Amino acid sequence: MLILTRKIDEEIIIDSEIKIKIISISENNIKLGITAPPNIEILRGEIYEKVVQSTREAFFQSKNSLTPLPKLKINKLNKKNEES
Amino acid sequence: MKIQTHQFGELDFGEELILDFPSGLFGFEQLKKFVLIKIGEELFYWLNSIEQPEIAFPLFGISVIDENFPVEKESEVFGIVTLNRDPMQVTINLKAPVYINQNGKLGYQKIIDKENYPVKYHLFVE
Repeated sequence: MLILTRKIDEEIIIDSEIKIKIISISENNIKLGITAPPNIEILRGEIYEKVVQSTREAFFQSKNSLTPLPKLKINKLNKKNEES
Repeated sequence: MKIQTHQFGELDFGEELILDFPSGLFGFEQLKKFVLIKIGEELFYWLNSIEQPEIAFPLFGISVIDENFPVEKESEVFGIVTLNRDPMQVTINLKAPVYINQNGKLGYQKIIDKENYPVKYHLFVE
């Protein structure tokens, strides 16, 4: 892993196209500003990890055939919003 | 072409049905080609890998769950379903929908960075 030290308002440039700027620093947070071409996907690491884990689990569970579904209703998102 | 699947045994289909996934799926980035299978009135579609035919994911159309879900041009939007022996524990991933453009033979997965679209959303209610 490459480790660089930067100050507020300084940037890192990756591949001439991706710019990461240090906006602000507080005790527990660093605010970054990222400029990148639209085809570059930028994700928070923990969200990506959660999605990967869920896709793996879906693959493992796909081997279990589902028993015939009783009369179940689809859990609609809108309805849920109305109720809450 | 013929592939040997886990869910449906041997499948024989025309190559024109193969969907390109240039970036694969999150966690399965190496898989670039899939076929979308729907058997009769079955509730789920199956997205079956061509390269590793033993890998398949059940999919469900998200528009049934949420009419306002973000759409993409000329594509249908599906969620990957995590099955369970207890139907009430079956979940669908609304955080990372799979968009499939059947005419363009193209598919891709996106992450929607919004709190109301969870990774594990219960698909059924009593």
